[in-house]
Amino acid sequence: MKFSRRDLLVWSAGAAAGLALTPVPWKLLDDTSIWSQNWPWIPQPAHGPVDVKLSSCTLCPNGCGLRVRMANGSPVGIAGMASHPLTRGALCPLAFGAHQLNWHPLRLRSVRHRGSESSFEEAHAAFGKACAEGPVVVIDGYPGRAASAVLESFTAKKGEYRVVRGAESRALASYEKWSGVPAAALGYDIENARTILSFGAPLLDGWGIPGRFTRRWAESAGNADPNVRLIQVEPSLSRTAARAWQWIAIRPGSDAAVAGGIARVLVEEKLVATRGPMPPMTLTDVAARTGLEANAIRELARAMVGQTPAVAIASDYNPSVAALNVVLGAVGTRGGIVLRSKAVRSADSTDAAFASARAVLIDSSVPWEFVPETNAEVFRFAAWDGGSSKADWLLPAPGFLEELSDIPTAPTAGVETYAIAPALAKPPHTTHSAWQFLVAVDPSLDTPEKIIHSRCAELFRNRRGTLHASEEMPLAKIASPEKLEEQLSQGAIWVGEPQRSNSFRCELKEWPAEAGYSIQFGFPAAWSPPVLPLLASKLYEESNLRGTTEGRTA
Amino acid sequence: MKRFVLIFGAGVAMALLAGWVGFPRVLYRHQQQPVAFLHKTHAEKSGVAECSECHAFRDTGSFAGIPPLEKCAGCHSEKLGESPAEAALVDRYIKPGHETPWLVYSRQPANVWFSHAIHVQRGKLKCGDCHSNYGESDQVRIYEVNRISGYSRDIWGHSISRLHRAPHDGMKMSDCEDCHRQRHVDAGCLGCHK
Repeated sequence: MKFSRRDLLVWSAGAAAGLALTPVPWKLLDDTSIWSQNWPWIPQPAHGPVDVKLSSCTLCPNGCGLRVRMANGSPVGIAGMASHPLTRGALCPLAFGAHQLNWHPLRLRSVRHRGSESSFEEAHAAFGKACAEGPVVVIDGYPGRAASAVLESFTAKKGEYRVVRGAESRALASYEKWSGVPAAALGYDIENARTILSFGAPLLDGWGIPGRFTRRWAESAGNADPNVRLIQVEPSLSRTAARAWQWIAIRPGSDAAVAGGIARVLVEEKLVATRGPMPPMTLTDVAARTGLEANAIRELARAMVGQTPAVAIASDYNPSVAALNVVLGAVGTRGGIVLRSKAVRSADSTDAAFASARAVLIDSSVPWEFVPETNAEVFRFAAWDGGSSKADWLLPAPGFLEELSDIPTAPTAGVETYAIAPALAKPPHTTHSAWQFLVAVDPSLDTPEKIIHSRCAELFRNRRGTLHASEEMPLAKIASPEKLEEQLSQGAIWVGEPQRSNSFRCELKEWPAEAGYSIQFGFPAAWSPPVLPLLASKLYEESNLRGTTEGRTA
Repeated sequence: MKRFVLIFGAGVAMALLAGWVGFPRVLYRHQQQPVAFLHKTHAEKSGVAECSECHAFRDTGSFAGIPPLEKCAGCHSEKLGESPAEAALVDRYIKPGHETPWLVYSRQPANVWFSHAIHVQRGKLKCGDCHSNYGESDQVRIYEVNRISGYSRDIWGHSISRLHRAPHDGMKMSDCEDCHRQRHVDAGCLGCHK
């Protein structure tokens, strides 16, 4: 019997049909998909002893408590620290995947000078030359750290120190202008507030310290008359607006008019004891501008004083909302804007121009989207390359938990806190922080390690506050500064006592002019980070959670 | 027509034979454990009664897995007998101080987070529910490694079709899901893929 070409085709068809009835196609599909996860260039966590270390997040100034799962000495998983007094186990989606950032393909691995490979030696030479020729501006995105103190000390001799403020810090700037108290010393006592009027601030969706308000809200949300009322004034039905006690839909950009309208009703109807300047807009004008009825504005004002303490929170710089708080008597009082520390100095923001600067050095804590408007030579430290940088020099900095850092009080916190985040991972290549770079230029500067020692010694000397580790312990019971530093390095958090008098004088002579407004968009539009860990991008994509607008660095 | 059916049927038969019989033999490569360790011998001679006596939980609650070399060295610092396995253990690993490179039958991919503590202490699962009665065996199992994925055959299970398997046979994600569904425990995606 001759086996023809036609027979071969029939036999092949039969074999193909038969193959579909075997596990071969499905098993091969499964195995090749697993094989593709294990290509040799994909970093894999090393096998080894598994350990858990407590630390704090360094990606943004909120400093959330972390439980870091370590395998063979490398971080392989992040979870919230339930014993943290402010976050209470909550984390933002970015922090959950932060351990993946260090292995991101866009990790900056070498020094780049205007797009070409260079070296730290050449960068040092260029920076040294610039220092000799003129003043230097150093820009910090996370002030208050020991590393910030090094940057500030350097500029005390050779230039200016500037701070990039996040939206939450900018929202407090008006009080600094009217009271003289630095915005960095102020915070929100939202734990004691009973009515919160939020002007677009995403309180339940990424504002301030994750978990601080959401936990309180979750605990009271089941009650018919919750002990905290959140009234969200916002043009769109955001996630916070959808969950708030009341959502007031206004026309975009009319936040300041709403604040003015409420203040006018409070003063006209004598609903508040404090008196302030009368806002220039009449209630009719406010109604026309905001799209609300005049009666709705009156009801809103009455709701503000119906359950006190009450406070208004702006999403960004908004002097009218700050003025409303002054009229409401919410400044310097329990449940409002409080003075949490008397030992904080004000720092210049980056709003002022750097006309005479010869060089600008940008710390890795500065959000990537910040671009200084200057003709000076820009030295930018970053752990990740976000692309389209205008910096002359891009210098690789340590990544997530790759260097020792301390964690000062978060911008919106109502009490002082202090923590230490030790280096838990080794950088996979040569990196230098901005402070290391400056110490190499001026060896007389202190190192952050030394500053952290002295800060711990000072905390110990003051004997105030509580140490939160697995259990709470008054600081007075700690035996020595070394013991305190050891506890902080192992994940404990020091929480200061509320100021005995957190009132301060804030005078408003005239109703402020309207500032330009900003609308809070969902995370993908509002913030363009250089990189996202795989886990965070998945979480963000699936949940549309917002990142905080307070200077993130990754 | 008869010829067509005959040749088509031959193709089907060849494919079925290759797929069901030949393919599993080609797919898996046999590897020997570095030392012929016998659970039964240890249970009988050393009086080890519980798995947790060697496969213990640390003070932190995490699972220590295979005991380290120092645990073996507690008894085997010198050769106990004349067997080749004893000689291999002492000469190759204990005396030079090199950890024994055991081949782990249940090793999962790096993107899987599995906690023995949660399953054993909170879920009250017994070791044998997932690992069968291997702790009582008097033979060293051959380690069959998948040539493509690089993982043990224990993950897929010994039945290539995954039909008619014993409850402990297989550790794929679907097996975890089935067990969780039966016990009404919802771990979500992030429960295992952190």
